[in-house]
Amino acid sequence: MPLPEISVHDLDPALESLRAEVRDFIATELRDFPPRERAKNWLNANAAFSRKLGARGWIGMTWPKRYGGAERSMIDRYVVIEELLAAGAPVGLHWIADRQSGPMLMRHSPDLWAPRLCPGIAKGEIYFAIGMSEPDSGSDLASVRTRGVKVEGGWLVNGRKLWTSNAHLSHYAITLIRTGAAGEQRHAGLTQFVVDLKAEGISIRPVINQLGDHDFNEVTFTDVFIADENILGGEGDGWKQVTEELAFERSGPERYLSSSQLVREMLLAADGDSDRQRVTFGRIAAHYATLRQMSLGVSGMLARGDTPALAATIVKDVGTTLEQAIPGMAHDLFGGDVAPGSDLAEVMHYTTLAAPSFSLRGGTREILRGIIARGLGLR
Amino acid sequence: MSDIQHADDLAAMIGESVGQVFGDLVTPDLILGAEKGEWPERLWATAIDSGFDRALVPESAGGIAASWAGALPILRGIGQWQVPLPLAESMVGRFLAAVAGIELPEGPVTIAVPGRGDTLAMRGDRIEGTVSGVAWAGQCRALIVPDPATAGRIAVIELGGSGVSITAGANSAGEPRDRVVLAGVARRTGEVSALSGLDDPVRALGAFARSAALSGALASVLDQSVQYANDRVQFGRQIGKFQAIQQQLALIAGEVTAARMAVDAAARTLPCFDAASGALATDDRALFDLAVAKVRTGDAATVVAPIAHAVHGAIGFTHEHRLHLATRRLWSWRGEFGSDAQWADVLGQAMVAAGGGFWEMIAARRLER
Repeated sequence: MPLPEISVHDLDPALESLRAEVRDFIATELRDFPPRERAKNWLNANAAFSRKLGARGWIGMTWPKRYGGAERSMIDRYVVIEELLAAGAPVGLHWIADRQSGPMLMRHSPDLWAPRLCPGIAKGEIYFAIGMSEPDSGSDLASVRTRGVKVEGGWLVNGRKLWTSNAHLSHYAITLIRTGAAGEQRHAGLTQFVVDLKAEGISIRPVINQLGDHDFNEVTFTDVFIADENILGGEGDGWKQVTEELAFERSGPERYLSSSQLVREMLLAADGDSDRQRVTFGRIAAHYATLRQMSLGVSGMLARGDTPALAATIVKDVGTTLEQAIPGMAHDLFGGDVAPGSDLAEVMHYTTLAAPSFSLRGGTREILRGIIARGLGLR
Repeated sequence: MSDIQHADDLAAMIGESVGQVFGDLVTPDLILGAEKGEWPERLWATAIDSGFDRALVPESAGGIAASWAGALPILRGIGQWQVPLPLAESMVGRFLAAVAGIELPEGPVTIAVPGRGDTLAMRGDRIEGTVSGVAWAGQCRALIVPDPATAGRIAVIELGGSGVSITAGANSAGEPRDRVVLAGVARRTGEVSALSGLDDPVRALGAFARSAALSGALASVLDQSVQYANDRVQFGRQIGKFQAIQQQLALIAGEVTAARMAVDAAARTLPCFDAASGALATDDRALFDLAVAKVRTGDAATVVAPIAHAVHGAIGFTHEHRLHLATRRLWSWRGEFGSDAQWADVLGQAMVAAGGGFWEMIAARRLER
C-alpha cells in the first residue's frame, strides 16, 4: 500500500537571516494593520503591499532573472511565504500569479507570455485570476462548457466562469476553454488560454460571499475574440495542464495557516491558569508544527525534482481540517464570553464565516479524499 | 558523508534487519502467548543478537551509536509488528545508562516515571516507595527511574534484589505493566544533566519511544484496513469501492502520514551519541519536537482506531482477528509516558507564554522555559 513518505527537510540555519528580514519588513509595513484585516490572510488584496514585496524580490522569487525572478530556492520562498501568512499579510492580489500562473507561463510559453508578463508579476504589478470553475462545472472540471470556435487568427469564445476570485482586480486569467470534442475520457478538447480580462466582450459581475465581501466573480464571455497566440501550451492539452496547475495549489503553507490570526487573538485573550485552554493551544501547536514539517517536506521534495502529488493532496486535506477546526475551538473556549467589537470578536466572526471556503478552494475535501483513496489502491 | 546521510543509511540497514527479525518471528500466536505470560525467548535472543537493545549506545559500550533517526525502524517496528518485548524500554534505558556512565546487567531493562498514586523517596541512601505501570518489570533485570534525591540524575535499581516486590499487571493491550514496591533498596545513580533540555529525560524519551511505536501501529492499522476493504465483498463489490469507505480510509491515511512526520522530525533532534567522536550531540529543539510527536501520534490514534474498526465491521471486533493487537496498543500507548493532553499542556503553556508571538515559537521549535 503506497502511502507516500514525506522526507523531513532540515532548514538551513542560514535562512534565519532571510526570515528575520521578512519579519522586520512585516513589523514595519503592517505596524497598524488591524486584526480584522489580517484575518483575511491570503484573500486580502493590497496593491501597494504587493508592489513593496515585489521590490524586495519576494514575488517570483524562484524564477529565472530573465523573467524578473530572483533565482532563489523554493525553500527560500517557503520561508518568506510562511512568515507572510503567519502574520496575516495582505498577499491576495499577487498570490495566484506568484503561486501558479507565473510558473505555468514559464513552463508552457517560455518565449512569449512568460517574458511578456512574468517581470510585471514579479514586480507586484500584474495580477492573475483562475479561470477554471463554471456554473455547472466545479469539482467536475472536465464538464466545462465555455467554448471557443475557431475563426481566422484565433477563437471566438462564449460562456461563463464562476467563483473567479479577484477577477475584478486582476489583469489576466489562465482560462480553461472547450475547443474540441470531449472524447470518451471527457478530457480531450480542452485548451488553456491567457485571457486579458479587459478584452471586449468580457463582463465581470461580483458574487458577494456569505461574509458580505466581494471576492468571487462571474466572468461572462460574449463573442470574445482570443488570438491563437494566447493559447497556453498545446491546443487540447488543457486537462493535463490544469491538473498540473492544481498541483501548485495543494501543499503550501496557505493550506493550514488560514486561521492563524484567530489563534493569535485567542492567545492574546488566553488564561494560562485554564487547563482546558492550555491543552487546546498545545494541540494546535502540535498540529501546526506537524503540518509545517509536512508542507516543508513536500517543498523540499519538489525542489529536488520529485513530484509528490499524493503527499501534497494529503497535506491539503490534513491542513484544511485543522484550519477549519480552529473556529470551533475558539467557540468552545471563548464563545459567549467575548467583548463585542473586540479584536477577538471580529476575528472569530470573520474566520468562523470564512472557514467553509477553506476546503472548497483548490479541490474540495471530498475530491481530495477520492484522490487519496486512489493512491491507497482502493479505486 | 553528512550526519544525515549516515543516519539514513544506518536506518535503511537497521530497517532491513528489523523487517527480517520481526517479520519472521512476531506472529499473532506469539503476541497472544506473551499476553498470557509466555516470554518470547527466541524473539528476544534474536533481537539482542541483532544489537537492537544497544542501538543507541556508543560503540565503546558495545552499541552501534545510532541516532534516534537511525534507530527509528526498531522503535517504529515495535508498533508495526506489535512486538511483545521490553525492547523500547531497554533501548531507552541503555541509552540513559550510557549517558550516566552506569553499567547495566545483561538482559532486558525497563524505565518508569512515578505517576498518580506513586511515591518514590529516599530513606537515608536507600530508595523506597512504589511505582506502578512499569513495563515488563517482572521480566527485567533493572529499573531506571529519575533519581528521587537529585534532579538531573537517574537511579538504577536491580529488580532481582531483596526489598523489591513486583505485582503483575497489564495495560489494555495485555502488555505487562507491573507494580513495583521498593522497601529500602540500594540504587546506583548517575548524572544525566547533559539531557537537561528534555526536562525529565526518562519521561521524555519514553514518550518518544511510544510515539514511534504508535506511528508504526498506525501504519499497521491502515494497511490492514485497506487490505480488508479490498478483500471484503458486499452488495456485489469490494467495500473499498464505496465512497463512504474510501473517504474514511483517506482521512486516516492523512492521520497516519502526519503521525509519521511528527516522529521523523523529532527523531532528528533528540540527543544522541556521535558515531565518530562518541560525544553526546544535543539540539535545543528536542523537547518541543518530541512533545509534538506524542500529541500528534496520540491524536491520530484516537481518530484512526475507531475508523479502522468501523471499516472492519464485526470481524474486527473478534479476538480471532488481529486488528485488536494493533488498536489495543494504540489506546494504551497514547496514555503512556504522558498522554497527548498532558504533552499538549506542555506545548500550551509555551503557546500562552508566547501569546501573539506564537508563530515565532512554532517556527523556532523551542520551548522557552
